[in-house]
Amino acid sequence: MTNHSGDPASLAPTTRRGSRRSARRGLATAAALGLTATLLAACGDDGKPVLNWYVNPDGVATFEKWAEKCSTDDYEIDVQLLPSSATEQRTQLARRLAAEDSSTDIMNLDPVFVAEFANAGWLQEIPEDHWGEIEGDVLEGPAETVTWDDKVYALPLWANTQVLWYRKTLAEQAGLDMSQPVTWQQVIDAAADNGGTVGVQGNKYEAYVVWINALVQGAGGEIVADTEKGRDASVEIDSDAGRAAAEVIQRLAESEAAQPDLSVSNEGTSLGLMYPEEGPGEFMVNWTFAYKNYADTVSPEQLEDLGWARYPQTVEGEESKPPVGGIDIGVGAYSENPDEAMAAAQCITQKDAQVELALTDGLMPSTESAYEEVISDGSYPEDLVELWRTSVDEGGPRPESAFYALISGAIQERWHSPTSVDPDSTPDNSAEYLEAVLKGEALL
Amino acid sequence: MKKFGIAVGVLVILVWCLLPVAWIISMSFKDELSITNGNPGFLPSDGTFAGWENYRAVWDNDQFRRAIFNSIGISLIATVLSVIVATLAAYAIARLEFTGKKLVLTMALAIAMFPVVSLVGPLFDMWRAFGIYDTWPGLIIPYMSFTLPLAIWTLSAFFREIPWEMEQAAQVDGATSWQAFRKVIVPLAAPGVFTAAILTFFFAWNDFVFGISLTSTEAARPIPASLAFFVGSDPFNRPASLLAAAAVIATIPIIVVVLIFQRKIVAGLTSGAVKG
Amino acid sequence: MTSTNVPAAAMPEQKSDKPTKKVDSDRTRAENRLGQKLVAPAIVLMLIVTAFPMVRAIWLSTFDYALTAPDDRNFIGIQNYLTALTDPLFWKSTGITVLYMVVTVAIELVIGFIFALVMHRVIFGRGIVRTSILIPYGIITVVSGFTWQFAFSYTNGFVNGWLPFIGDDFNWFGETTPAVIAICISEIWKTTPFMSLLLLAGLAQVSEDMIEAAKVDGASWWQRLWKVIIPNMRAAIMVAILFRALDAYRIFDNIFVMTNGAVDTQSISFLTYRQTIEQFQLGMGSALSVLLFLSVLLIAWLIIKLFRVDLAQARQEG
Repeated sequence: MTNHSGDPASLAPTTRRGSRRSARRGLATAAALGLTATLLAACGDDGKPVLNWYVNPDGVATFEKWAEKCSTDDYEIDVQLLPSSATEQRTQLARRLAAEDSSTDIMNLDPVFVAEFANAGWLQEIPEDHWGEIEGDVLEGPAETVTWDDKVYALPLWANTQVLWYRKTLAEQAGLDMSQPVTWQQVIDAAADNGGTVGVQGNKYEAYVVWINALVQGAGGEIVADTEKGRDASVEIDSDAGRAAAEVIQRLAESEAAQPDLSVSNEGTSLGLMYPEEGPGEFMVNWTFAYKNYADTVSPEQLEDLGWARYPQTVEGEESKPPVGGIDIGVGAYSENPDEAMAAAQCITQKDAQVELALTDGLMPSTESAYEEVISDGSYPEDLVELWRTSVDEGGPRPESAFYALISGAIQERWHSPTSVDPDSTPDNSAEYLEAVLKGEALL
Repeated sequence: MKKFGIAVGVLVILVWCLLPVAWIISMSFKDELSITNGNPGFLPSDGTFAGWENYRAVWDNDQFRRAIFNSIGISLIATVLSVIVATLAAYAIARLEFTGKKLVLTMALAIAMFPVVSLVGPLFDMWRAFGIYDTWPGLIIPYMSFTLPLAIWTLSAFFREIPWEMEQAAQVDGATSWQAFRKVIVPLAAPGVFTAAILTFFFAWNDFVFGISLTSTEAARPIPASLAFFVGSDPFNRPASLLAAAAVIATIPIIVVVLIFQRKIVAGLTSGAVKG
Repeated sequence: MTSTNVPAAAMPEQKSDKPTKKVDSDRTRAENRLGQKLVAPAIVLMLIVTAFPMVRAIWLSTFDYALTAPDDRNFIGIQNYLTALTDPLFWKSTGITVLYMVVTVAIELVIGFIFALVMHRVIFGRGIVRTSILIPYGIITVVSGFTWQFAFSYTNGFVNGWLPFIGDDFNWFGETTPAVIAICISEIWKTTPFMSLLLLAGLAQVSEDMIEAAKVDGASWWQRLWKVIIPNMRAAIMVAILFRALDAYRIFDNIFVMTNGAVDTQSISFLTYRQTIEQFQLGMGSALSVLLFLSVLLIAWLIIKLFRVDLAQARQEG
């Protein structure tokens, strides 16, 4: 229904119940940005090259600050705003790059699209000496997302992950021991038996694939394997893991715990149901920003009741694979000032910038050292930050393929709406369809 | 009895046409915060009346202002150019015998029916080759081409109603066809040209398919496309009340034009068939 | 081809007021040249944006070509067409598009006709009626889509509250049928004015004398409507149907903003857009473009043949 994806790329620090002030500030920033953009573009500023930095619309104020900090005597960085949906961001950037646009210098990329962009030759390779310097510090999950064909094509800026958020009173009432790993089945039943709900992302968009992917990986499977073979990758969703994932979705869809807007739900729709006017609240899988959202909007007593735990298991006893997302910075292959753009990208992804994004915008860093600093700052409960770090480190990325857009689209096509998912037919159907789509034998 | 029926009919028309307009206006006064929490009902519920807040926020948004600027600029240029070209063609069609006339009319009709989406793929590919992707000309050219059929039809219908004896008289007095066109017909045809211009402007202002396909930044993105990509403070849900305010602003030019020129527009749409 | 008949009929062939026969051949030749010069710019412009890309689309449609993998371009002949035509999604989208077309045009015809009747007879407040009917016509389709999307929204809309038998938390965009209804309403609201104005033009052509005569003969209002008015404005009705049907077949904007193609609401235009602009599958997208164009031609031909639309009559009498 909406084309706003809640993919990591579009997670904003500002909130569903965001204060009026933050709305004001966002707009004012956008206005200021646009204005400077026009001015800069207009005067060309004493011959200094202008580097365009395409950003997703979360944490824009911080981006703008760092654009200024990272501008030097030799070049200036100018922030350009992309639409909020991850799919739409990809479309806009890819169209410019396909047109070999020389003004696309630096771009915020959802990790799942790095492979596609690198494969099309749209990204500059990251120099080995720089990568060598930071490689040891970058968390494993994000490091994987920037590598394609054994080369590195982007720099991780922030890494995102999902955890299970819940109301402590609701879990208690259900008698669920949250100190131990819980399964989807337990969570759904606990909510249903106690008048609560379970919040997921079930709209037909990228984050629904995030959920499905996490469920499949949590059961030890993959949506596709051998993705480096491109169109000939092996489709594996028609497996026990795929069926286990479908069972969870079906169980929720048929349960009393399903939220009324399940088939169009996104990261924002379920936030409000944590503290509803009536009822005990919910269990919800959601990204890291949720904490800051509640910290800013609910009363201290309510916040006290907010619990967090590792992403639920698909199969009892098998470790869950929390989703990994975030933003990587890529440098355009057709840039007129490739070296300057690369230097700027390195500056933007430095530790201090990552820490600032975490503290002001709730977007968690991609390196060990930045994580240490976030913990020592004390703005977030330490166990929560630790949980995030473990989740990013042990989480499962979505398939890394040059044809990811096709894979994601095909899965959405066959698995939406959640109410239609059937373990007996959906994995089978979607495998067949995905194979045909990859081979170019079926329309998407 | 009959009068009563018509009065009821008028009322139905007014409600049908204006209720959604009233709704979007009402929506634009709902507080943005209350929208994300859910604020059903036609009118803003108690305490959620936002006043001019949303309008101010939208107007302060540079992307939106830029889109308005793009839309006005692109639509006006496309309209002027299209009407000039169409006037020449319509004159020829209404008044002159020449081979190829059928071809022009065929083409105009075929293009009026053309599925626009089927062109955007190849056009995107061509425009990036020509380097006019995401620029004003990249939109002006297709807008011109797609408004030409409407403009040619409307204008040739108008031209047919012009008292051509005057042109003949001018020609008898020794004027060439061209002089007769310029000195006699242009002033007479001006109202028709104006009507065609309004309809052409509406088309360009309304276009969405080209607007989203042939642009990728605010450099050329027109209002409809900009509305579809509008980002509020809540990234997950459309900022409905801000969008409503933006939509109202985008609709104001249309309403002004309609209020002033309603008679001309009706005449133009029905090609002069309706009197008064 | 079909479309050549139409304008041939539509063009103002008879020029009884102009003594063409008398002029000498020099004059004719000059007129010929002037005429061609005057239409040349229009022709060139229309060709640049339609014929040229269409030819290019036909050529591209024979390749397996994705912009994201530009080096893997292969000639595959008509394979793209075979794939599309044997694909259930293609037929599903076509089916839903035809549904949009039939439903909206049929409803608009009825509503538009009633509006036209009222406008034709109304004396007091004619300006107000005309102005208000032009507002939906002038409003941006995307805005119309948003307006109705928000109206049907269960969190912020008013429709659920106003309609009996529908729960306040009914989600119109969660399933195909209600979503299609919402999209159709948005489309109908936006385009009925155009339909009713075309019908109003037709209504104005019906001679008052004939209606009076029928009245004198004792025909009821209903009989006059069916026996006199409608048969006499047949041409206008057919033209209105033709124009609106072809327009409705291209439906795209409302779907984009209201459902973004979810829950099986995507039209054939939307499918084509996704292939070319979102998926960058230029080969397959071009094949779909060509098919879309052909299907529009087919529909135009069907309507013209089935209803024997006489464009000449409709335009000429205007």
